[in-house]
Amino acid sequence: MPEIFVTVYDVFMRTYPGFLEATVVTLQLTAIGVILGTVIGLVFALMKISGSKILQTIANIYITIIRGTPLIVQIMFLYFGIVEIYTMSNFWAGAIALGVHNGAYIAEIFRGSIQGIDPGQREASMSLGMDRRQTMSRIVFPQALRRSIPPLGNQFIITLKDSSLVYIIGVAEIFSLGNREAAQSYQPFESFLVVALYYLVLVMIFTFLLRLYENKLDVDRA
Amino acid sequence: MIIGENIHKSFGDLEVLKGVDLHVKPQEVVVLVGVSGSGKSTLLRCFNFLEMINEGKITIDGHTVNPKKDNLTKIRAEVGMVFQHFNLFPHKTVLENVIEAPITVKKMKKEEAKKLGAELLKKVGLEDKANVYPSKLSGGQKQRVAIARSLAMQPKVMLFDEPTSALDPELVGEVLQVMKQLAEEGMTMVVVTHEMKFAKEVADRIIMIDEGRIIESADPKNFFENPQNERTKQFIQLVE
Repeated sequence: MPEIFVTVYDVFMRTYPGFLEATVVTLQLTAIGVILGTVIGLVFALMKISGSKILQTIANIYITIIRGTPLIVQIMFLYFGIVEIYTMSNFWAGAIALGVHNGAYIAEIFRGSIQGIDPGQREASMSLGMDRRQTMSRIVFPQALRRSIPPLGNQFIITLKDSSLVYIIGVAEIFSLGNREAAQSYQPFESFLVVALYYLVLVMIFTFLLRLYENKLDVDRA
Repeated sequence: MIIGENIHKSFGDLEVLKGVDLHVKPQEVVVLVGVSGSGKSTLLRCFNFLEMINEGKITIDGHTVNPKKDNLTKIRAEVGMVFQHFNLFPHKTVLENVIEAPITVKKMKKEEAKKLGAELLKKVGLEDKANVYPSKLSGGQKQRVAIARSLAMQPKVMLFDEPTSALDPELVGEVLQVMKQLAEEGMTMVVVTHEMKFAKEVADRIIMIDEGRIIESADPKNFFENPQNERTKQFIQLVE
């Protein structure tokens, strides 16, 4: 067996108790980032499709700023910004930063899927005497939601990987632990290989679950 | 039943309807014909307020509609519309498509709506498809569901916007059959179609629209045998 496999195996065996804890932190960050991002995304998507110029402008400013700046800058900005006004753990600061960041992308996903629904659906609904609210909630949103699941899944995977950036404010997630391990053990190559494996496996599990869910939706409709 | 007076409609600089007067009597079946772009579909959509007219008046069942003041949602509920591309709700089963509006708009009880839905599906010959999704239906079946869905609101008048234009030729007959049956039952209907056989057999009146104006209005016999306008003559030659 080549030497490298042995040393990677050694590093893996030595570090897995710590990494499992770190994995939990990564998953928590991801979950909060996704849930918060979905709520924010929904609100801003609705603002964008509302008739109101003011709401549209607010949503556009938010989306432009978030998409136009690096996540790592947003994390620092939010962390030091929030700490000024309100004492908060670095975990929550990081999770909120991820949520705010995702919100902009998810808003665009929702907006795209709502506006992608055939206008004929709205017309049919209105011709039956349904008002705007009923048309949206009963006809447009259910179809848009279904359509947004694949890009949302993609965004969730991005969030999982992006959560590594909160290491910069000292949250003990997978990357942060790997970073420390690399420095302490003088085995940076092996350490980051192990880190990569953790992310890869998590993403693969995530992808599998998403595929399962998408297939179930297709079966339901057919 | 439906009276349109001096209807003007423009899209930007393009004036599509240039002062149309149309009076549809109760139980009358009016077929609108014309080349594409003549404004016939737009006229139909104005009657359902999917398009807002720029000038003129629309009176439905004795009530002159004021689009600024009136609840258009309520008015639309009284005017059924069948679309060229069916526009069934793909996330709902056939029966759910039919009972959606009675439940959400008329607040009908679910059991009652289901009974009504089953009756209507039977009427269009699709009672065995109640629980399938629209994606599993042929075009002709989809359009029949769309007709049942529209009838579920018990409209005073039914508008058909090229209901068979998107269908394979062999599926046209089953949809026209349902429409013919509706006409025989006394439904007031305004139909935009290219099916001249249907127009001849079912229409009380055929109206030719050309460049946003009515240029011919006659019963089928006179329309086909004795057209007055040159453009109508050309059109008849073209379609026959």
